[in-house]
Amino acid sequence: MDRPTTPSRPPLRSVLLRSRKHTVLGVDPQHLIRWFFGGNASIAVIVLVLIMIFLLREGIDFLPTYRHELQTYRRAGLEFCDIIDQPLQQNQTLSSSLRQAISASLETLSKSARDRRDAAFLLKRQIEDKTTRTSESLSQALEKTPPLPPAELAKLRSEVQKAAAAASASLTYPDLFSAAEREQLQREFAALTPEVTDLPPLLQTLAADFTAKDREARTKFASLVQAQEEFEAATEPLQAVVDELKQHAQETKENAVEFEVLETNRLRLLEAAAKEKDPDEKASLIKEASASFTEAVNLAERIQAITSRATELREQVEKYAQVIEKAAAVLPTDAGTGVARTMVNDVREGIPVHAQAMRKAAAQLDSWRWDKPVSIFTVIGAFFFGTSWITNSSWQDFFGFVPLLSGSLVIAFIAILIATPVSVVAAIYTNQFASEREKELIKPVIEFIQAIPSVVLGFIGISLVGNLIKDVSEWSWLQWVPGFPIQERLNMFNAGCLLAFMAVPTMFSLSEDALNNVPRAYIDASDALGATKLQTVFRVIVPAGISGILSAILLGLGRVIGETMVVLLVAGNRIAIPDFSAGPGAIFQPAHTLTGIIAQELGEVSRGSSHWQALFMVGIVLFAISLLVNWCARAVARRFEPHKA
Amino acid sequence: MSPVPTTENPFAGDNSGIQKRETIARWALRVGSYIVVIITVAIMLHIFIKGAPVTFQSKWPFVNTQFLTELPATLHVIEDKQGNHYETDVNGADAIKKKLGDNFRAEKTISYSGGGILGPIVGTALLVIVSVGVALFLGVACAIYLSEYAKHGKFLELVRLAILNLAGVPSVVFGLFGLGAFVLTAPVFVDVPADRSVFAIPLGFTTLSFEGWDTCVLSGGFTLAFVILPVIITASEQCLQAVPQGFRETSMALGATRWQTIRYSVLPFATPGILTSSILGIARAAGETAPIMFTAALAFKDKLPWQKDLPPLPADASIFAHWDQSVSRFLGIFTESVQALPYHIYTLAAKIPQNEYAERAQYGSVFVFLVLVASLAASSVLLRKRLRAKYRW
Repeated sequence: MDRPTTPSRPPLRSVLLRSRKHTVLGVDPQHLIRWFFGGNASIAVIVLVLIMIFLLREGIDFLPTYRHELQTYRRAGLEFCDIIDQPLQQNQTLSSSLRQAISASLETLSKSARDRRDAAFLLKRQIEDKTTRTSESLSQALEKTPPLPPAELAKLRSEVQKAAAAASASLTYPDLFSAAEREQLQREFAALTPEVTDLPPLLQTLAADFTAKDREARTKFASLVQAQEEFEAATEPLQAVVDELKQHAQETKENAVEFEVLETNRLRLLEAAAKEKDPDEKASLIKEASASFTEAVNLAERIQAITSRATELREQVEKYAQVIEKAAAVLPTDAGTGVARTMVNDVREGIPVHAQAMRKAAAQLDSWRWDKPVSIFTVIGAFFFGTSWITNSSWQDFFGFVPLLSGSLVIAFIAILIATPVSVVAAIYTNQFASEREKELIKPVIEFIQAIPSVVLGFIGISLVGNLIKDVSEWSWLQWVPGFPIQERLNMFNAGCLLAFMAVPTMFSLSEDALNNVPRAYIDASDALGATKLQTVFRVIVPAGISGILSAILLGLGRVIGETMVVLLVAGNRIAIPDFSAGPGAIFQPAHTLTGIIAQELGEVSRGSSHWQALFMVGIVLFAISLLVNWCARAVARRFEPHKA
Repeated sequence: MSPVPTTENPFAGDNSGIQKRETIARWALRVGSYIVVIITVAIMLHIFIKGAPVTFQSKWPFVNTQFLTELPATLHVIEDKQGNHYETDVNGADAIKKKLGDNFRAEKTISYSGGGILGPIVGTALLVIVSVGVALFLGVACAIYLSEYAKHGKFLELVRLAILNLAGVPSVVFGLFGLGAFVLTAPVFVDVPADRSVFAIPLGFTTLSFEGWDTCVLSGGFTLAFVILPVIITASEQCLQAVPQGFRETSMALGATRWQTIRYSVLPFATPGILTSSILGIARAAGETAPIMFTAALAFKDKLPWQKDLPPLPADASIFAHWDQSVSRFLGIFTESVQALPYHIYTLAAKIPQNEYAERAQYGSVFVFLVLVASLAASSVLLRKRLRAKYRW
């Protein structure tokens, strides 16, 4: 019997292993697709690297450029002048506090007279403001040639009078004036016309009153006034010498810089000429190059003119120090008010310190060498620890980082101090206590804050929060708060408040996640032990989620330091280290920030200048700070992780 | 000894004040959380009250069309001797002055505060289109890799770390990056490379020169794209992860390749979620100011990006007859610098003296801007909620 023929079929092995793959250039398309997506995934890495590359490319040249500038600063002798000139600035501070003490003292006698005079003149100004239109028409009519018919003039006059009468009746007269005076003022104001140039009699009396009182006060505190004048005058001979030297140094610097510009230009032209093939072009380039030639500045010779005066300068400093020390010794102790007395005392203590600083500076003059090279570490120090950021200055640009950093840090500190309790409390409440309906209200609203553009918040800071803070700071029962009443509407506290508001959503969501991730078993165990809800929350859940909360705070900090528009609009943009001697009230001072300075100044500088490079350096530091904060947040989250069951 | 019987009720409530403390603490927490809500609502109300009158009007069509459809301009305010104020633009000012003649008293000009805000709106729209286009492409591809292909390892960790760090980079640093990378270095095809070109690759018919795109929509859009990239990646990855694993396993079991699985079993279910989440990215891109300050935005421009002094195309033929010119003109829109709403608000708030007229322009712009951004954010939230209800696995 024939065996049934098995249908011919390919062997199983070959079916299973048959390659059905199409290949593209010898590569499996599946691999290609995979690589495509993998390549896109690496885009985040690439962008980070690119950010670093481009920041460094524009910014890294800052160190050599700034080094060169500082070298010129030294070689031209500007640094020499600054040795004396910098501590000399202290004189102005001291003398201004003396002046304040004097005006406070004078006020004890003349304040009421001055207030009355000022109030009366303020009222007069208000009347004038209200009657501008009519009085303007009248004075224009009076100037007309040929003169207008008297009837028309009379009409205009009566209009002016009517307006003045209405305005003077509508004013509120302060209590400084007695009833009779008020009436007289109103009568005099009602008669104000542009044709009468004399002051109304009562105003004249008030002004005379004040002058008399002021003179009286000045004789009473004559010794103080005289001390202040002497103190201010004491700097004059020294300042004269310093100014002369400064002018000389500046000239040297300008010449040196001009020479450098021309020289680089010449070299570039010559280089171009060397490459040029067309003989005519070449000749013209060479000619242009030779035109761009000046004599190099003989720095050694010019610096000699400055250093040779060192002895004279030292003598002047010594003389100045002696004069002011003598002045301090005879500074009167009687001042009008307690505040003035403390001020005078401060000055009395400050003057010897100042004199000492001046002597020390004078001693430095000898060891100063114009040809000492500026090391790269000095430059790095000058950037990271420099206390002044001065640009577009006719004297010398300084790129010191500290004022910006301190502004950024103080603002960030305020923001975090406000935002942390608020967002953690909100997170605990929504996560543990809130009903479903409350959750549906609170969560979307807080998440919505994230969508508010920062420039809008900055605008709110200018138009709403600034005025609000200023008004509140003028309430009389809040005067115990340090720094109240505040001077500037736009200040660090204002910016800190808005940034806190911006940071809340980030910190809230991350904290809430952290609380959510606390294992259920912990809560059950706590409940089973009979703990109340509050005990469970604060002794079990919050400690268990603390790592997440801390890392949320850190990420909030990163957000706050990197924020640009709010600080640019609201922080007040004064480049100075906050004056911490004012105590906690310092937070109401304006400041500038790392992010704000980039946004404000980058648009106005030319590419490749030292200023441009300095701004990119600030960018590099900001980038580094953001990486550091992120790293810390991750480290914190990992460090406190043992609670994960 | 038997216990002394007490008259106290052993089941009585706790008297030690724990209950009271609980209630007080609860209320303290509640007040703390509602403070944020109240402040938010107060700010919104303030902007609404001050801004709505500029944008809306009591007459038909109820919307201040002039404010929304005109370009920003300098506002001239003319006062006559009777104390009446006339608001007008440059051209109107002369006519009114002539009409008033002797009666003319004073004229004030307020920069940027007249006209409307069409220019900034258009600019912001263009920037958003470019940035979201770029960011969606890169971000979704990255998310697909992270969710579908990546295996645990060094590379994956590196990518995740980079995304986290990218999200934390300050926006002004992105601005510096955009300036250095796109404005000054990005490659363009030109016939003759400029002096500042980093390097140029001659291609025969043209040259690929790395000399940057200058400040334009393209530079700003690309910069913004990288600002919102982390948002888009994270959101897309979440949506991809939300598709049940079973879908992939079924598809693979039927013999589909990895790509077919992604294409037919994962993406269709994830796309709606990805798109709604990326609306948040749009809101973010529209709201950023610092990245576009140096890369795209202008304080003032009296033309829309497509209004250029070019000869009109011959009218006789259809647009296809001159398609190359039409295309190049269309692309030219993206190489123009534009005004943008957030930068316009910055200019109004910081660069001009404050007075009632400037304030009106400020609040109007802020209101419109906030309505745009808020409606984007709200629609994203609502759509997400609806999607969640629709796809329940």
